[in-house]
Amino acid sequence: MNAATATTDAPSTAPERRKRSSSGGRVLLYATLVLLALVYIAPLVWALSSSFKERSEIFAFPPKLWPDPVTIENYANLLAEQPFWRWMLMSTVVALLSTTAVVFFCSLAGFGFAKYEFRGKRLLFDVMFSSLAIPLAVILVPLFILVAKLGLAHPLFALIVPWVAPAFGIFMMRQYTEQAIPDELLHAARIDGCSEFRIFWSIVLPLLRPAIGALGVWSFLTTYNNLLWPLVIVSEPEYYTVPLGLQALFGAEGRQYDLVMAGSILAAIPAIAVFILLRKQLVSGLTTGAVKL
Amino acid sequence: MSATTVTQNKRRRTGRRQWAPYVFISPFFVLFTVFMVVPIGAGVYLSLTEWAGLGTPDFIGFDNYARLFQDPSFGTSLLNTAFYTVFALAVVLPASLLIAQALNARGLKLRDLFRLVYFMPVVLSPIIIALIFGLIFDGEYGLFNAVLEALFGFGGISWLTDPLWARIVVVILVLWRWTGFLTMFFLAGLQNIPRELHEAAEVDGAGPVRRFFSVTLPQLGPVTAFIAVTMLVNTAQIFEEPFLLTQGGPGESTISVSMFIYRAGFQRLELGYAAAAGVVMFLIVFALGRLSISAFGVGRNR
Repeated sequence: MNAATATTDAPSTAPERRKRSSSGGRVLLYATLVLLALVYIAPLVWALSSSFKERSEIFAFPPKLWPDPVTIENYANLLAEQPFWRWMLMSTVVALLSTTAVVFFCSLAGFGFAKYEFRGKRLLFDVMFSSLAIPLAVILVPLFILVAKLGLAHPLFALIVPWVAPAFGIFMMRQYTEQAIPDELLHAARIDGCSEFRIFWSIVLPLLRPAIGALGVWSFLTTYNNLLWPLVIVSEPEYYTVPLGLQALFGAEGRQYDLVMAGSILAAIPAIAVFILLRKQLVSGLTTGAVKL
Repeated sequence: MSATTVTQNKRRRTGRRQWAPYVFISPFFVLFTVFMVVPIGAGVYLSLTEWAGLGTPDFIGFDNYARLFQDPSFGTSLLNTAFYTVFALAVVLPASLLIAQALNARGLKLRDLFRLVYFMPVVLSPIIIALIFGLIFDGEYGLFNAVLEALFGFGGISWLTDPLWARIVVVILVLWRWTGFLTMFFLAGLQNIPRELHEAAEVDGAGPVRRFFSVTLPQLGPVTAFIAVTMLVNTAQIFEEPFLLTQGGPGESTISVSMFIYRAGFQRLELGYAAAAGVVMFLIVFALGRLSISAFGVGRNR
């Protein structure tokens, strides 16, 4: 069903001689891939290692790969001086609430676009898809004013509500619904007297689980790491998310590398864990819609 | 149940079936209207005014636009954004395709591990990424200069304080952050190509390079179009990379259009001026986005 999950190698049908002749190519291939992996890993190892260095050692020249001495004072200082766990709580709550709403609204709209014929469908779909090309910066100033005037200014509300039906998610769910839900199933349910919403809720939604997993992880990660909109809309420090809190330590209050490094590592742990656990679903779900346009 | 109630029920049900899809897609359109269409309209009005956020906006006609086109910072931000976008399309995109091609090699071991590693930056907060790159490319204490020094005996490049090098570091950051993400899309596209096509071409005597150009590339059309449009629209609104890595500096040499708008609106409180820049950005990005969407036929599958 999903091309990207099919990573297992089918038995090679190519002639044997071809395999032997390309063993030099194999070495080159692995060397390139490993080198590239190092380019990806090295900065992360460097960050991890720096977070255990004393403040003065972070900028030691020549740079030291391993911290000497190893210290956890950056972590201790961060947790003692800053309400880090509060930021984490705020980030997690915002990410979970918006992910739940995003998954619901995108599946619903994706189902609407995939499995119904209605007047104006094409135009409405085009409008929806075109909204992908509206940059956030364009609406930043007026949206900020609007949200403040509408009384949506409570950070929890303002951070979540404008973004719960993203066009990208609707597009992705439509692509998936189209190929994963047979029309006969819907007909059968209608004959049994199911209401349209009931069909969506009890029949369609469970079948969309793989795509929902992907959209959910994606939405969680982007909201969890989001910077620009929170930066504009949240002014009270008690509602800071992790990126905002770290940004404040990094930007306005001078570059507190030691604290920000420790905070970034702590904040990255849940994101990396979610990703490693659900990566196959994420990758296959995200790419299905794009492969078969 | 009598015959009439059955037909009534049936009619009610088809009636429901007609309005159900409108209800299902309505949340998007409500939010789209309130949080996109209205702000864009308000932005057009604001762009004709001078306003610091308090009192009533003063109507000043097209003065903001006239000022915008004489403002060298705005020109710089446009040029920089164009540079970042062209780089994303001309370098990041082909690089991702090559990596995907390598990952798609038959019988490759550890594919899942490689994929995991390359995808990792997408998961990370831009803060930690900018922080690490700031450390690595620091002109005096940076890891990269130390490595250059050790390997080639020179390491005195002021990566982040030289206008030209700072731009290069920003695009290196873009490359590092987004290549793995795009690779996943290309890899999925490659795995979707029927093996028979390659085998037929091989039987016809086509070498690997020839097969890449006459089988792989044409088959990757849709996924390439999708990625190109996504990358175009995303890089055109680039904010985090220059904002966190260089604050747009040295001077204004790495500032992007999104940063320009953020700075005008929220740091200098020239809301009307920021709105005008927003309108110009909207015209450019939306036109380019729309054009490429219809040119590539993205989003249509019938």
